[in-house]
Amino acid sequence: MSLDTKRERAFSLPGAQRESSPAGELRLRVGAGSFDRGAAALREAGARFVTMFKTGAPEATMVSVVALGGELITLAAPFDAAAVTRFGDSWPAASWAARELVERNAPAAAREPFLTAPDADRLDGRLRGLDVFTIPYGPVRSGIFEAIQFQIETGGEDVPALQTRPFFKHRGMEARFAGLEADRAVYVAERVAGIASVAYACAFSQAVERALGVAPPPRGERWRAIHAELERIACHLDVIAKEAETTALYVGQARFQILKEQVMRLRLRLTGSRFARGVICPGGVRFDGAVSLDELLAAIDALERDLRRDSRLFTGTASMTDRLIGSGRLPRSLVEEYSAVGPLARGSGVSTDARHERPYGDYRRLGLQVVTRTEGDAMARVNVRLGELSESLRLLRGSIDQLRRENGELCAPLPRSRSGSALGWVEAPQGELVIWVEVRRGVVRKVHIASPSLRNWALFDHAFPKDVLTDFAFIEHSFGLTPAGADR
Amino acid sequence: MLEWILRGLRQGKVTTSYPQHPERAPQGFRGAVEVLEQGGRAPSELAALCPTGAIVVDGAGRVSVDRGRCILCGACVEAAPDRFAFAARYETAARSRSALVVPESLEAEIEPLSRTLAEQARALGRSIHVRHIDCGSDGAEEWEIQALWNPYYDIQRLGFFLTAAPRHADILLVTGPVTRALREPLERTWEVMPAPKALIAVGTDACSGGLSAAGALTAGGVDAVLAVDVYVPGSPPSPIAIMHALLLATGRLPAGVAA
Repeated sequence: MSLDTKRERAFSLPGAQRESSPAGELRLRVGAGSFDRGAAALREAGARFVTMFKTGAPEATMVSVVALGGELITLAAPFDAAAVTRFGDSWPAASWAARELVERNAPAAAREPFLTAPDADRLDGRLRGLDVFTIPYGPVRSGIFEAIQFQIETGGEDVPALQTRPFFKHRGMEARFAGLEADRAVYVAERVAGIASVAYACAFSQAVERALGVAPPPRGERWRAIHAELERIACHLDVIAKEAETTALYVGQARFQILKEQVMRLRLRLTGSRFARGVICPGGVRFDGAVSLDELLAAIDALERDLRRDSRLFTGTASMTDRLIGSGRLPRSLVEEYSAVGPLARGSGVSTDARHERPYGDYRRLGLQVVTRTEGDAMARVNVRLGELSESLRLLRGSIDQLRRENGELCAPLPRSRSGSALGWVEAPQGELVIWVEVRRGVVRKVHIASPSLRNWALFDHAFPKDVLTDFAFIEHSFGLTPAGADR
Repeated sequence: MLEWILRGLRQGKVTTSYPQHPERAPQGFRGAVEVLEQGGRAPSELAALCPTGAIVVDGAGRVSVDRGRCILCGACVEAAPDRFAFAARYETAARSRSALVVPESLEAEIEPLSRTLAEQARALGRSIHVRHIDCGSDGAEEWEIQALWNPYYDIQRLGFFLTAAPRHADILLVTGPVTRALREPLERTWEVMPAPKALIAVGTDACSGGLSAAGALTAGGVDAVLAVDVYVPGSPPSPIAIMHALLLATGRLPAGVAA
């Protein structure tokens, strides 16, 4: 059976209706009874689960989003907590999203307007036996890390069971968007996950633009790609520096920290902010980079020279590779079952990248060489990032070259009278980020964020098949996720 | 390994000499918002420009900015460039919450320090152990604190060391507005730290809650839970700003560096 036939089966559910939607999105409305059947049909057709949420429209509608063959398909039905739970139980990728949706919409008596944060002292060990104990690692971590808890069940060395417990940091960021004008709400987006400010600002802006039918001018799109790739470089260098640190390769750590700091300083000179905040806005970008394009190119050339030497040394240092090769191995089947995204998925041979699957902005012109590895271990995830660093440098040159030849606007005006809803997506450094936005007369009504961090963290519980406690730190860093994005 | 060492040698020294020599922020750096004297726009319209309520207009029409609330989004600078501007400076930390309001509001008295921190810190000498706890930051503050130990800032040369155990810590760096679930871990961490000790609120979220104002989800800033010794506003504050705050907390700012 072809993919199309399988997909059509989901669309031919009793009472299914297609609704109009912006390009790249396919909206399907079904009855409450067909919701999980529809999702199952899409899963069988090879869809990747993205997220699940409730819309802000007057009637209570639950929506499940999946990615299939270069499109995002939304499946909408009247809200029904039982159907959500069934769905979450049947598809591991959907389990946290389902839990979140049910909790947020619990009956009035039990309702809390937030996700239930775990109790730091509660241990829910699943293993029983002599000498088995639970280490609650977090939410106060050693070192300078964000708050999250891992309950590590161990007999001393190996890690037969692990439970990741996010949501300590839940700040209610999605609710903070409501009631703000779209061009100001982007400041909230930049502060959901600070290390990926550009990615969040772009995904939010693109959702607003698609909802209102606005296209950013080409120069705005080029600058967005430049800021996004610099952010990716900073994030990937950060992961590699941390891997060097945890494998006690301190010279390597210093080298990659120097490169990362140089990128942060370049971003400061370009935008006035080390995290490029305040530059992306719905409609395009607010201002040109404050560094001349020649200077920017020279900085990229210098970075590439240093990077080539340092990565050659890094991958050739046995004391580092010995720790990473074979550690934290995730088989491809598991990655697919959990619909993981980003460098994590690409390290296990799954070629998924939003810039390639559903190209947006300047990536439509630039194209992308998706970097994948098949080993699925921590080393593969580091190698994917090293490969992506070179690819990012190529993309940067492509956008800069084009900027040289163009004049024109940086930002398109937003029509204040229009209303609409849409999904926006980018490939953040951590993986695919999808944001749902509803706008009414220029004012944001509802936002839902499907962060790559939350989606990928579900896999962490399975990342210790043959690994021991001392492997913990570098397996965690190889995931390269941010709790702020997961908890929102 | 030899090759690594050669790489390092070829790079040369990158470490800043701050605070012995001032470190100038590049032009255009969004370090802090300043209020300009002149301007035509009616003060009453100005307060509405700020998404976090950092712009305050008093009865007499005087305009001030509470940097502890400012997330440096630049909405005011864009809309009213005659009244607000970005200052390209790193040092923004202050010892009291009211000192973050610029220009200083006339009503605010200079608060006497709750503890003479510098005197206490003298006992610690040049071996100060720092602990960090995240209470709901957006993650950027962690990057900037981590940067203090990279070769560019290398704060160990000033005698600041990172410790994993709160019981060994002299200074606690707190980020984030303090979410419900992290309130108790914060209190317990502070409790086990031996005196003398200092608490630094790092970032606008930690100073006031920032975008996450006090409510069901967050305490709206660290000082709603514990007494804060030094506030570093910024979204996020730069590594030099955090270094400045650490020196301020230990009374080790050399003459000539703005306090």
